[in-house]
Amino acid sequence: MTLQVTNLVGGYSQIPVLKEVTFDVQNGELVGLIGLNGAGKSTTINHIIGLLTPFKGEIKINGITLNQDKNAYKKQIAYIPETPILYQELTLKEHLEMTMMAYSLDRDKAWKKANHLLSIFRLDNKLDWFPANFSKGMKQKVMIVCAFITEAPLFIIDEPFLGLDPLAVHDLLDLIDEQKQKGASVLMSTHVLDTAEKYCDRFVLLHDGTVKTEGTLPELRKALPDAGESLDDIYMSMTRADQHE
Amino acid sequence: MNNLYRKRLASHLKEMFKYLRLVFNDHFVFALLIFIGGLGLAYSNGLKGLSPHLWWARPVIVVVLLLVLQLGRFATLFQDADVVFLLPREADIRQYLKGARLYSEGLAFIYELFGMFILLPFIQVTDSMPVFDLAMIAVAQLLLKDSLFSLAIVSRFQVKASWLKQTFWFKWLVPLIILLVSVYGMPLIGLLLALILAVGLRVADRRFNAVPFDWWHAIGLENNRMLGVYRFFNLFTNVPMLKGVAKRRRYLDWLLNSVKATPKNTYLYLYSRGIVRSGEFSGLYLRLTILGMILLYFVRGTWLPIALAALFLYLIGFQLIPFYWQFDDIVFTHLYPIAESQRVNGFRRLMFALTGLTAILFLIMVIIANLDWQMGLITLVIELVEVVLMVQYYLPLRLKRKK
Repeated sequence: MTLQVTNLVGGYSQIPVLKEVTFDVQNGELVGLIGLNGAGKSTTINHIIGLLTPFKGEIKINGITLNQDKNAYKKQIAYIPETPILYQELTLKEHLEMTMMAYSLDRDKAWKKANHLLSIFRLDNKLDWFPANFSKGMKQKVMIVCAFITEAPLFIIDEPFLGLDPLAVHDLLDLIDEQKQKGASVLMSTHVLDTAEKYCDRFVLLHDGTVKTEGTLPELRKALPDAGESLDDIYMSMTRADQHE
Repeated sequence: MNNLYRKRLASHLKEMFKYLRLVFNDHFVFALLIFIGGLGLAYSNGLKGLSPHLWWARPVIVVVLLLVLQLGRFATLFQDADVVFLLPREADIRQYLKGARLYSEGLAFIYELFGMFILLPFIQVTDSMPVFDLAMIAVAQLLLKDSLFSLAIVSRFQVKASWLKQTFWFKWLVPLIILLVSVYGMPLIGLLLALILAVGLRVADRRFNAVPFDWWHAIGLENNRMLGVYRFFNLFTNVPMLKGVAKRRRYLDWLLNSVKATPKNTYLYLYSRGIVRSGEFSGLYLRLTILGMILLYFVRGTWLPIALAALFLYLIGFQLIPFYWQFDDIVFTHLYPIAESQRVNGFRRLMFALTGLTAILFLIMVIIANLDWQMGLITLVIELVEVVLMVQYYLPLRLKRKK
């Protein structure tokens, strides 16, 4: 089991945003983290990557918590943020080098991989560019390349589809699939439900800081039999039911 | 809209005072006071050596007046979001600008009067004019400033008339002519010309009442102005609003490439590139180092140069420390699987290299200025101790306190 979140209570200040959140991501699995704006998706992710400290509960990656071994924990995560964030003073090439250094990657192997990814995303002629010259989509692609050269067992991808062109979306999904084959786990938050429905193995539906339901699509259909067929239907009926409560 | 400007001005002034307080709190003000005192002394000494009717006195007066005229910009306090939120209130923009002009022009008049006040002794010594003439020149100068503000307002509207946008003409050439006329014996004509210009531009401005406002341009100008203000404050303290553009600076690549790309060097790799390519901290470092070197060249004595070298070295090290947190808002700085102690080590090496370089440059200046090897030796020992103390003990202390 790669990621195990147990009874996580957490948030930014004293007031908890997440209330007893529990879910897991197995090896070779793509789990979709679904929820409205403010449901707690980003808060959950920030807890997993270690930017926030849980008030209660624990997060384990392959059996290790952040407190047990900071570096070993962090080394297992490759993170792609929702808004691409780059060092203004580093070129594309230097971002890749930084990643290789930080994760102690074998440079020859990592560069081979990086060159392959760069050519997929048509960035291979922009190695000396600064982030200021990249469009939002390009920056996002840089984030993707940096994440996918790390060989981390757990990928955390926050809303990857907005801002990417359709070709890049497919390339990203292929990459995710490739990592899954190798046994890596992926946790992906998104609003693009039809894509999520097609590609995710399981779903965690967050609402108001709690896990409303989780499971595969057939399991969700079973749990909410009147809701409808698609993830969209199920999700909408769930949130509506909640608002009427 | 008038209220809006007043509100913005209040918060703007609050921010400015916050920075001013930081400036005058810092040790830097000490160096600055010495500097200003020295300048004042040099000015008064210089005046004593002048005699009346020097051929270059009047050109100097004209040039100084022309330069002083450029001081004081139009503070519209526009913000990026205004293009969305104030757009529906465009009809009232004149009222907003009126408030802005009142404040900016008032401030600019103070600059003008102060500049002329400083120039006054020079005029009296070299070319004693009648008081009445001086007063006329002063009024002409203020009228010229007023026309520049009218022009600043016109240029923020989508005015088609291209002659009005010839900023070089209005900012430099026309004032130059009027000032030349005034200073070279016809102050009354200069005053009249300035009056015609000021009134003419105000009338012209009124005629463009129906022209749409140029939001992008106005906001861009204001952002530029604020950038200048922040840059100034950044000389003394760290301004978070200041995010410069990265420059490649290829000619320093050899330096950057001397950092080997090993996991141990991850943060040194980042910090060294950060400091070389962002203008912010490297500018600060360069300015202080160069200022220190200039001072050390002119200052003679036994202990004063050594004390100054030590003081400037401390200032530089002190101002460099906040660079440690430069990348904290980038999430990956926290995600990299590298211990904090390694990051501190990387930063320490950078700081050691930078303060070490400054120490060597200061040492060279001290030796050149005093031609005294013994003094050089003392400077070297003191600087060495200081750098080690700063990097090994003071830096970790500051980093810990911040936590």
